[in-house]
Amino acid sequence: MSGLYHDTGVVLRTYKLRESDKIVVIHTRDNGKVRAVAKGVRKTRSKFGARLEPMSHVKLLLYRGRELDIVSQAEAVEPLSPMLSSLDRASQGLAALEAVDQLSLEREPNPQLYKMLVGVLRTIAAEPSPLNVPAFYWKLLAREGFSPQLDECVRCHGSEPAVQLVAFDLNEGGVLCRSCRSGQAISPAALGLLRDILGGRLQHALRQEESPATHEVSALATRALEYQIERRLKAVAMFEAH
Amino acid sequence: MASTYTPPVQLLIDELGRLPGVGPKSAQRIAFHLLKIPADDVNRLAEAIIDAKKRVRFCERCFNVADSTLCPICNDDARDSSLVCVVEESRDIVALEKTGEFRGRYHVLLGAMSPLEGIGPEDLKIRELVARIEPEGIEEVILCTNPNTEGEVTAMYLARLLKPIGLKVTRIASGLPVGGDLEYADELTLGRALEGRRSVED
Repeated sequence: MSGLYHDTGVVLRTYKLRESDKIVVIHTRDNGKVRAVAKGVRKTRSKFGARLEPMSHVKLLLYRGRELDIVSQAEAVEPLSPMLSSLDRASQGLAALEAVDQLSLEREPNPQLYKMLVGVLRTIAAEPSPLNVPAFYWKLLAREGFSPQLDECVRCHGSEPAVQLVAFDLNEGGVLCRSCRSGQAISPAALGLLRDILGGRLQHALRQEESPATHEVSALATRALEYQIERRLKAVAMFEAH
Repeated sequence: MASTYTPPVQLLIDELGRLPGVGPKSAQRIAFHLLKIPADDVNRLAEAIIDAKKRVRFCERCFNVADSTLCPICNDDARDSSLVCVVEESRDIVALEKTGEFRGRYHVLLGAMSPLEGIGPEDLKIRELVARIEPEGIEEVILCTNPNTEGEVTAMYLARLLKPIGLKVTRIASGLPVGGDLEYADELTLGRALEGRRSVED
């Protein structure tokens, strides 16, 4: 049996290897996370050029190795240039990659994660809206089985308008009313945006301009994902600080 | 596993094995080579290492490697101080100097921003670059970071930071390597080459 196989995937990150090679980590459609060596990719005359940079969506011919595969050919599916056309797009794209890198498992096919990643990258390329990445994080969490309760207090089950939902607790998994509150405060506007994102009105949420409410949703999304994967997310933290 | 060499040899092998790209077997081979060659040759190597480590430091102005407070390029008065080329590593200066095209000064960032590894702007010599602009009368900054994701992110960050100061900020062009074939060029490079085309001189 030949060791060559075809797949399509998105490059999540790269590591330098030896003089001019790189290890590329790819989330593929049919094989889950794949680590492969791209030989000579750092030379200016490499046949791969920019195709194996993070965020690239590529069709690949890979050679299965014992630990690392080898990239034999790579062909771009979508142009990478929009992603590197502005700092906002690049930082959002990298933040999305980091989350997928944490959730994707080696050689564990996860076509839905692949579809979601390709989708979010397209959305970012089209318009770097402030809620792109937070919405993506919430959708990832929902898919992993963490859908927060947003319509009634998780402790006393009181719902609006009888009680006011004023707090959000990650341990409890949802919103809380004034008398049961724990965790952190959440504004009505941010709660509305969260309901939009998780309740099928994503496009409406993505049209929002940057505001205190979008910042709130974004910080909460990062915290929730970090809580779930039990790790700090580096890319978001860096761009939130600037 | 107990060491089978006498302690001095084992120590040498262990130290060599800590160098980048040197595995245990290579370390062993180098160690025995060193033991075989004349003592003079070994002394020269040892002295070169000690001397370099003692004398080489970073240029206080541009963070290039230097053997005094300023590197040879910063010390050269014939250079155009209004033009600064920002690079990631000292190695890049050598590559650029080989072209013989650039007569300005340099600034070494000592790395590139890498959000996925948590390397941010405060880990690079960016504040030092901003501090140079005013006293040196810098008019143009050429962003010469590597044309990969980290380098591009760094360049975009620097552009956003420097443009409001009223500087001319430029980015090196991306294009096709001389001697290469067009059909093997990737889309991004070819696209940028097209974007940056220029009219043919007579």
